[in-house]
Amino acid sequence: MVNVMKGVLVKCDSAMKQFLLHLDETMKLGKKFIIQDLDETHLFISADILDVLQAKIDDLMDQISFPVTEKGN
Amino acid sequence: MAQNDTKSNHINNSARLQPANLECKNLHDYLKTRSPAVLERLYNHPTICLAVYRELPELARQYVIRILFVEQPVPQAVIASWGHQKYAKEHSHVCNVLSELSVWQEASIRGGLAGWLLSPTFKRNLKIALLGGGKPWTMSSALDPDNKARDVAFLDAYSAERWECVLHYMVGSQQQEGISADAVRILLHAGLMKRDEEDGSPVITRQGFQFLLLDRQAQVWHFILQYLDTVEQRGLDLVECLTFLFQLSFSTLGKDYSTEGMSAGLLIFLQHLREFGLVYQRKRKAGRFYPTRLALNITCLQDKGAIVLEEDTPKGYIIVETNYRIYAYTDSNLQVALIGLFTELLYRFPNVVVGVLTRDSVRQALKGGITADQIIGYLTQHAHTQMLTNETKSPLPLTVIDQIKLWELERNRLVYSEGVLYSQFLSQADFNVLKEYAQTSGYLIWCNKEKRTMVVSKAGHDDVKKFWKRYSKGN
Amino acid sequence: MNNTEEIIKDAIEDVSSTDDVSLLVIILDTNPGQRILRENPHTLTQIIDSVIAFANAHLLQKAQNKLVIMACHSRASQFIYPGLGKALDVRQIDGQYEAFTLVEKTVKLNLSKLLSESITVSNESLLAGAIAMALCYIHRIHKSKPPGCKINSRILVLTASGDSASQYMNYMNVFFTAQKQNVVIDVCAIDQHLSLLQQGCDITNGMYLKIPQLQGLLQYLLWVFLPEPPIRKKLVLPPPVKVDYRAACFCHRELIDIGYVCSVCLSIFCKFSPICTTCHTVFKIPGPLAVKSKKKKIKL
Repeated sequence: MVNVMKGVLVKCDSAMKQFLLHLDETMKLGKKFIIQDLDETHLFISADILDVLQAKIDDLMDQISFPVTEKGN
Repeated sequence: MAQNDTKSNHINNSARLQPANLECKNLHDYLKTRSPAVLERLYNHPTICLAVYRELPELARQYVIRILFVEQPVPQAVIASWGHQKYAKEHSHVCNVLSELSVWQEASIRGGLAGWLLSPTFKRNLKIALLGGGKPWTMSSALDPDNKARDVAFLDAYSAERWECVLHYMVGSQQQEGISADAVRILLHAGLMKRDEEDGSPVITRQGFQFLLLDRQAQVWHFILQYLDTVEQRGLDLVECLTFLFQLSFSTLGKDYSTEGMSAGLLIFLQHLREFGLVYQRKRKAGRFYPTRLALNITCLQDKGAIVLEEDTPKGYIIVETNYRIYAYTDSNLQVALIGLFTELLYRFPNVVVGVLTRDSVRQALKGGITADQIIGYLTQHAHTQMLTNETKSPLPLTVIDQIKLWELERNRLVYSEGVLYSQFLSQADFNVLKEYAQTSGYLIWCNKEKRTMVVSKAGHDDVKKFWKRYSKGN
Repeated sequence: MNNTEEIIKDAIEDVSSTDDVSLLVIILDTNPGQRILRENPHTLTQIIDSVIAFANAHLLQKAQNKLVIMACHSRASQFIYPGLGKALDVRQIDGQYEAFTLVEKTVKLNLSKLLSESITVSNESLLAGAIAMALCYIHRIHKSKPPGCKINSRILVLTASGDSASQYMNYMNVFFTAQKQNVVIDVCAIDQHLSLLQQGCDITNGMYLKIPQLQGLLQYLLWVFLPEPPIRKKLVLPPPVKVDYRAACFCHRELIDIGYVCSVCLSIFCKFSPICTTCHTVFKIPGPLAVKSKKKKIKL
């Protein structure tokens, strides 16, 4: 017998993976979304969460970036 | 690099929740998708052979010219021996290209050796183009001197104005006159614009923006390719139109050509080209026309050399500084709008615009579907001559290039691909069989032997499922 | 699958690296005093036809390739394509590409003008002068090119005349200038072996070929001289033979193995002379013992 599940394969670096695991555990997105933890750099997640997840990651990136240019007026 | 990127984008984009990127084909990609029969018909025209020859990789051009005057098939081993061992990879790539385009065919030689033989039609017509013979091209009937002859400067101004008309229309600038329903239909067909869901008026798409960032020659070529797709629906003959197009591309700027002897279909085609500014005609029935710079060397996508060598081409106008500031010496609304796509505009003066590249502005563009390479490409193409004088590899400051790329990479830390997870196989053998099948059909995107888990792309799921059913029944 | 993709990617990168403008200057020796032309004047027609076909093959390679053809005569050298003044107005007469027809017409017209003008026959062609002119032309093109544009330039010399050591200094000057300007000099010797020009090829990394027979001239040209220098390393071409680096003496213009060198200006002489003809340094007439100290024997 074989178990079959639909979803989205995510390839990422291990730091990003930890962040996703964290989001999943703390239910930051309202629910659990990781279907299976595959290996260091791959996760299998449910497809319907993609939009929310992308937005969340954009937020994170905004927080950890700083402006390289100064707008001298 | 860029080619690989577009390819992987193409595979993943179903899951990336983004529509496809603008795909730019060169002549080679275009012809590859035609059937051998069409190719054979095309090769009946010296112009096409000339264009195809110039598009070949450098090594292939040498091979072809070496066997151009050889009547028998040449053993493959002999041709392989012409190149250095070190470049064997390139050799096999080149051989592939030549076969794909049916420039040469495999032929066996007595003694069982495999050989290559140039397509007789291609060979004959390339020789005609090079050495003479055959019939003159359709547009070169004799003409009396034109008493209102147009010079190159006039033609340049004319073609620029016509083409910008199309571009202005795309960005929705005020000037909407001067573009026909036909052109709009091509824009829609090409996916550069789409009908607004509410009022049905055409609005620019993501691909449309990418199109705007291409250099002019690439724009024309892309547009014409899209046009050619629709040619047959209009009752025009594709081969005839392509031939004429290449004749134009090999014509001389500032010279007039005759319309005598052109078929009715070609005359319609000519009128379309006239609308986009590829040819100039004083009157519809003038009996003569002038090709413009847009039509010349239409297939040369990469090489800037040809354009740069001419002295009267439009000059670059953008200066990029290492502090991410951009100064654009322009008064064209279109160019300002384009720069505004990925910069934060600070000031505007009558002849210059000042902006700054920020993370937000670039991200905005990236979200809109423009890639980092396209932004960098645009800035490079239009770099001010001052930026080109230093003999470094790139006219732009390296920090800026790197930063734009980093901003893009930051968005791609996760790569999504929609798929189906197969797990909990009962035996290793079952797993191996299914994995083997998925791998050979190219559907496998991830697998782990120890865990007996694999992910198959969504497109391949049905196939794999069917195979699995057959397989488990057989057992 | 991944593998093939990589191969293609590699190949594409390799190919695109040679996408510069290529400027070819062909110097054609038209001196009627050449042996093969004296014996059979019709050979010139055959040579010219081959050269035109070769020149067009060069233009065929890339849209932006540039071409110059020069005729080198006994009295003067002249540009025959692009000719002086306005370009001819050419209409197609057959299926040949207009630009190619233009080359053919212009070359033939200018050449017939040149040949009908000159009557005086001298055996020596001014090849060094022609190369110098070509270098000046290339230099001008380089100076006027817009920034950011790269041009690979090379010169191809086609000649059936012999080496003349009388132009030794001029040859060496143009060779080293060419080397400094990164201009490759290729030489196609039609009739006899040319040791001086061969040195020039060696100095500038060009190809030297003495063709075995005139019949296949076009094929030799296409095989050996059509590939541009950047792509030559990918093809198997005739290996360089040992180059004869003998110098010509300044007194009799003869190639020598061993000679005398002025210790001040390095001029070379085949016989001892008390006053250097180049820099007028006076040497003492050496006694038997002083021989070693005053004049040096060198081997080149």
